[in-house]
Amino acid sequence: MKNGYLLLLLIGFNLWSQKQLPDLSLSNLEGKQQSLKNDFTEKDKLYVFSFWASWCAPCINELDEMNDLQAEWKKTLNFEIIAVATDDSRTQKRVMPLVKGKEWSYLVLLDTNQDFKRALTIVNIPYTIVVKNQKIVYIQNGYVPGGETELFEKMKTL
Amino acid sequence: MKNTLIAFFFLFSIPFFAQEKATFFGGFESNAQWYLNDKDLGVQHPENPFRSNNYLFLNYTYKNWSAGIQGESFQEKALLNFNPGYKETNVGTYFVQFKNKKINLTAGYFYEQFGSGLLLRTWEDRALGINNALRGGRIIFKPTTYLTLKGIYGQQRSGFEVSNGKIYGFDSEVALGQALNLEKSEVTLGLSYVGRDETTAVTNPNFNSLTNAFSGRLNYSYNAFYASTEYNYKSKDAILEVRDQIENNFIKPGSALLINMGYSGKGFGWDGTFRRLENMSFFSERTAKGNSYNDKIMNFVPSLTKQHHYNLANIYTYQAQPNVILSDATLVKAGEIGGQIDFFYNFKKGSKLGGKYGTKVSMNFSNWNALAGSFYISNAKDYKTDFFGFGKKYFSDANIEVSKKWNDKWQSIFSYINQYYNKKLIEETYGLVKINILTAESTYRITPTQSIRMLGEHLWADSDKKNWGSATVEFNLNSKFSVFASDMYNYGNDNPDLRNHYYNMGGSFRKNATRIALNYGRQRGGLICIGGVCRFVPESSGISVSLNTTF
Repeated sequence: MKNGYLLLLLIGFNLWSQKQLPDLSLSNLEGKQQSLKNDFTEKDKLYVFSFWASWCAPCINELDEMNDLQAEWKKTLNFEIIAVATDDSRTQKRVMPLVKGKEWSYLVLLDTNQDFKRALTIVNIPYTIVVKNQKIVYIQNGYVPGGETELFEKMKTL
Repeated sequence: MKNTLIAFFFLFSIPFFAQEKATFFGGFESNAQWYLNDKDLGVQHPENPFRSNNYLFLNYTYKNWSAGIQGESFQEKALLNFNPGYKETNVGTYFVQFKNKKINLTAGYFYEQFGSGLLLRTWEDRALGINNALRGGRIIFKPTTYLTLKGIYGQQRSGFEVSNGKIYGFDSEVALGQALNLEKSEVTLGLSYVGRDETTAVTNPNFNSLTNAFSGRLNYSYNAFYASTEYNYKSKDAILEVRDQIENNFIKPGSALLINMGYSGKGFGWDGTFRRLENMSFFSERTAKGNSYNDKIMNFVPSLTKQHHYNLANIYTYQAQPNVILSDATLVKAGEIGGQIDFFYNFKKGSKLGGKYGTKVSMNFSNWNALAGSFYISNAKDYKTDFFGFGKKYFSDANIEVSKKWNDKWQSIFSYINQYYNKKLIEETYGLVKINILTAESTYRITPTQSIRMLGEHLWADSDKKNWGSATVEFNLNSKFSVFASDMYNYGNDNPDLRNHYYNMGGSFRKNATRIALNYGRQRGGLICIGGVCRFVPESSGISVSLNTTF
């Protein structure tokens, strides 16, 4: 069994190809459904989906930093950050006041049943994916201060 | 089982050859620990000192079809105090799904939640050892964009088996705002039914094998204001005060009421929740009630308090109190009543309190009491509660957090937490603890990708284990490597032998989709709570490695 895992890991790494976003619809803070397949389709634009939760301190640090920097970044790069809240029903109600209180200017999607997170087999948050032309072109697992700079440098090469 | 494994791996190899629009996602997580003897702490390592929990999840999508499988391996055994049903290597979950615009069909294991989950929620939380997915079938039908109908049937996962209770469910939700073309407001209405059918070993039971539960919910929002309510009712069923003891002459219904509202504008937001629970624990097997692994749990009854991320703020964590206990005149419970309020505010950049970068403030207050009423604790046990009556206080938590960026290099977060913890009522032991906690943390950026984070915490408690101090230093060498060291010290303990240090040190490395972490140190015994649900862990000492990756 262990060898099986290793084999699969190897297959997995070799098959690391640009994957299609899953075909899911998530609700935004206004209660409107957004389709991952049909609503993030501008050609060559980078869509940065950042998975977070209201109880996850590093996630909030990352989104705070990017919120301050994104106006500057947007001068040279065409991108949009989408904050995917994986909060379940215990904390989901805190998402809206937190986002407004922090004046984040992101589109926020609610992944309440964690279908999006599960479809990408994400284990831990913060977890950030960069999507270009509906394909996942970059993944960043975790966040430490400065991670946003690394992400931006990477995005310039995508 | 081996054959199932092979069949699935074969299935997953198909997309590698079929080069059409197939998408494959895989994820792997491993948490391993080598337990050590620790004389000072008074712990001996368990029989199998090397233990690990491993999960491999594969998910494959082709056109309208998708399929997934999760293999799990607990070698030599699962980490301490996990459900003993998790043993050796086996297939944990699998599913096949067909989906188009109107219909979504799933066969196999699935995760589902109706409304807030007070009647039904199946989910996975590996750190807590919860995976209560239903094995069976689910139909989701969306005849129009504003109407969703769901039907489910299944048995709940328990270890690598399924529990005996059969679960039926139906849920409907209509978005009236969309249906009526309302511009600024949205109204959604939902109705659910959940049935649990479990034959009992009790002779001449005074309750039905089928327990019916109903729920109605309403969400309303108008511009930046929103409000929602949900009411749940569970039909009469036998009470269990003590594990495995079905009380055939103590038959009561259960109920839950949830009310939430909030308002947000630019730079501020508030949110308030009220909840009342009465006899609301719900398991797929009656006798599972009171098990310490959250095994066979059907509904999600989280504690509605702030989920703190500081070490010392997680020593006295509230757990929701949905259960009935009539043990003596000083210890009676039939549920809980209370609420919490959150407030977020941003002092703008350039304002007096905002400074150059703004100042972010968040406040939270929660308070929970037992239900008031009449309790009959003699032979014929019974109770009668007052609907809006507040009984003895279980818990309260008032806290404020201020986050401030001083300049490009320095950033700080300060918080103060005041807690009231009625240990006797919450844990059914003895004691009442009043707690104050102060924390201060600062992050200094040495270079754009190199930083150091320092965190100091202090807890004052008037009884129980009394005072604690804690310090953490984290050094991020670059965006890939981090190392940390921390210590929690129970210096105020009345018993000098219990003035323990809980030190930890370790490092982590991350690259793209992979993260690996190494840790050496001591684990404080107690509850580990995630998302308001808790698991008990014993004190231990050792080395742990965790790895997670997606591919």
